[in-house]
Amino acid sequence: MTISRIAASLLAPALLAWGAPALATEGERIEVTGEIIDTWCYFSGVMGGPDAVVGTAHHTCALWCSAGGIPVGLLAEDGTVYMVLKIKEDDASAGGDTQLRLASHTVTADGMLYQRDGLNYLVVEDVVSDLDITNFNAEDYGTVPPFAIPKEER
Amino acid sequence: MKALLTAALCLTTSVAMAQENDPWAFEEGSEARSWNLFAEIPATFEAEVVDLLCEVAGNCVDNCGDGKRQLGLLRTADNALIYPNKNNQTSFNGAVADLLPYCGQMVEVDGLILDDPDLGAVNIYQLQTIRLAGETEWNKANQWTKAWEAANPGAEGKGPWFRRDPRVLAEIAEEGYFGLGLEKDEEIKDAIFE
Repeated sequence: MTISRIAASLLAPALLAWGAPALATEGERIEVTGEIIDTWCYFSGVMGGPDAVVGTAHHTCALWCSAGGIPVGLLAEDGTVYMVLKIKEDDASAGGDTQLRLASHTVTADGMLYQRDGLNYLVVEDVVSDLDITNFNAEDYGTVPPFAIPKEER
Repeated sequence: MKALLTAALCLTTSVAMAQENDPWAFEEGSEARSWNLFAEIPATFEAEVVDLLCEVAGNCVDNCGDGKRQLGLLRTADNALIYPNKNNQTSFNGAVADLLPYCGQMVEVDGLILDDPDLGAVNIYQLQTIRLAGETEWNKANQWTKAWEAANPGAEGKGPWFRRDPRVLAEIAEEGYFGLGLEKDEEIKDAIFE
């Protein structure tokens, strides 16, 4: 057992007794515009650099990842990534229909931002606008990954 | 007593902050395999499996959402909320199917933390193995495709799940592989595969 866990186990009852607040984060209302992305490909670099794993080039992979339950994010114009936990009434953030339909789309979202341990979490109250796909990068990168389109359909 | 508690609080806070600021703090004892990712760091730790929407925003439902919602790992050592983005399979699968059986329970996990603050990748996790805290046998985090097969018994055809998934196929049939419609799809294909 580590020192911190020993101390934490000693402290927990005391903090509870003192009525210490839970560590829930306080939300902030924001409106943000960006692309609905597949966060694993974006963060990991497994399919290529950040410019390659967005837009038309990566759209089919974005569908696979969204349907596969990989978390989707909203990549804002300033490069900030917001991890999307809910879109309007749909709380199916693990493979849900709403986020699947919005894969690669540029949207303006109105919602609540929660910041916790270095990540930005977004609970979308309303999709103010949906501009469809606006990043036309397939002619620069082809398909990402290269096998996205079966050979017989190329 | 108050002085002791204050000292313990300071010690806990400083150790926890040191761990939180050091993404390598949970490498010891990890047997995670490298995925040759730019920012990967092996990490094994104890955590509680939590519903992220509940934990972050206070929007809670029974059984962590029954597999619909993303799940997180609330790490015991420093109370950091870790986001598992990926399980141990290589076919575009998240980690919820592997975490859901442990909703609300303490587990031990092994996998890879991504630490690339320039991209915003902090406390992002690739889950490789999981077990209830105190158990001896690890379970591979490979449950997603089994759950998909059970949920899609009529998805016939050859190839991996993502070639047969009815929702993915419906999206591609309507909007094409590039998402711009079928006519534009053919134009782009002609341009890049000529």
